[in-house]
Amino acid sequence: MIEFRGVNKWFGALHVLKDITLSVEPREVVVVCGPSGSGKSTLIRCINGLETIKDGDLVVDGQRLGDRATNMTELRTEIGFVFQAFNLYPHKTALENVTLAPIHVRKIPRGEAEASGREMLAKVGLGDKFNAYPSELSGGQQQRVAIARCLCMRPKIMLFDEPTSALDPEMISEVLDVMVGVAEEGMTMMVVTHEMGFARKVAQRVVFMDAGAVVETGTPDEFFSDPKTDRSRAFLSKILRH
Amino acid sequence: MLENFSFRTIVEYLPLFGQGFAATLWLSIVSFAGALAVGIILCAMNLQRSRLLQLPAKIYIDAIRATPLLAQLYFLYFGLPRLGLVLPELVVGILALALNSGAYIAEIIRAGILSISRGQVEAGIASGMTYAQRMRLVILPQAIRVTIPPLLGQAIVLVKDSALLSLISVAELTRAGQLLASDRFMPAEGFITTAACYLVLYYGLKSLAAFSARWLGVRPIGSRT
Repeated sequence: MIEFRGVNKWFGALHVLKDITLSVEPREVVVVCGPSGSGKSTLIRCINGLETIKDGDLVVDGQRLGDRATNMTELRTEIGFVFQAFNLYPHKTALENVTLAPIHVRKIPRGEAEASGREMLAKVGLGDKFNAYPSELSGGQQQRVAIARCLCMRPKIMLFDEPTSALDPEMISEVLDVMVGVAEEGMTMMVVTHEMGFARKVAQRVVFMDAGAVVETGTPDEFFSDPKTDRSRAFLSKILRH
Repeated sequence: MLENFSFRTIVEYLPLFGQGFAATLWLSIVSFAGALAVGIILCAMNLQRSRLLQLPAKIYIDAIRATPLLAQLYFLYFGLPRLGLVLPELVVGILALALNSGAYIAEIIRAGILSISRGQVEAGIASGMTYAQRMRLVILPQAIRVTIPPLLGQAIVLVKDSALLSLISVAELTRAGQLLASDRFMPAEGFITTAACYLVLYYGLKSLAAFSARWLGVRPIGSRT
């Protein structure tokens, strides 16, 4: 579904992705973790073209990024992206947020889009917030609207960029619960997160990145209980200390 | 002091001020519409990545902002005929106001668009919207809300700047004051009446802005009315 082959990327002189080779199978859930600045966000932002790669191959849903034949705008409709800062449209209600792209990009009739929008908001536990503006919602609620906004496009792939890092602790689990639900329905997911509980529960694989390179991959159990490299051990000891 | 102030003369000249008021009003409206068009085009050019489009817009905006409106007006009025282009005073006046205000409006709109966070743009991109869709559905509706107050400010400046057209003998409000002043040697009566008329226009514009804000559904983003 997603395949990186020898992908490199630079920000100016900074080598942010170093020879990444990695693939994600359909219905697989992969958690990406690593210290800040290790390139994990950049990695998943490349998949929907929010960042471009310098060399190597990146094939998403059978289409090679950067090819003339690949229509990025079209490909992006198949890829949901959940941001750390939610990025809901502040001038739109929750329901308008989740129906905007289905109506204008997918060209779904308004009535139909609104019906499935209501259904999706109810599914993420916001059945009573259709007409609320983002500023009237808590962080956790906003992030759940953002997830519903992606799901309404019926994507094949969902990418999450630190979806719970901007949340107050008591709101993290409500968002993770929704993500677990999405994973259990068989969505192909790549999730940048340090939430080990989530990784253990639904991830088939954990990818550990440091300084722009993939240092270690393994099942959540292998990785969290028996990390293979010094760098992953050092990282885990920091996030597990408290 | 007030025994010398002739209200009668003002009343006598009211029809003239009425005409001046109407002239200032409609030429300001036409100029502002032109300025909006100029501003939108300049701003669109300025936001492009291509230097070829960006540079002319930047030079134009700088040139207008760096020079007095009076010099621009005189260039169009006295300069253009020498170069072979003769236009009626009124056209020259409207052109000068539109070209001048357009440069300021371009910067106002640009600031409005740039005030929208990068995350909004990315959310649009990630959901598969084209550039035009992002502008129409995500960026502009938010930018308009922050742009209305400074645009109103610019409209008020334009109305006041239109007084300069009296210098190329366009029959507008300030010209009416000048006529009263020179016909009857009553500059106090003439210009106080002119000023009062501008004040009326000012309050008209202010209430128009409040009305359009409500009509566009402008509220502090996210709060409910």
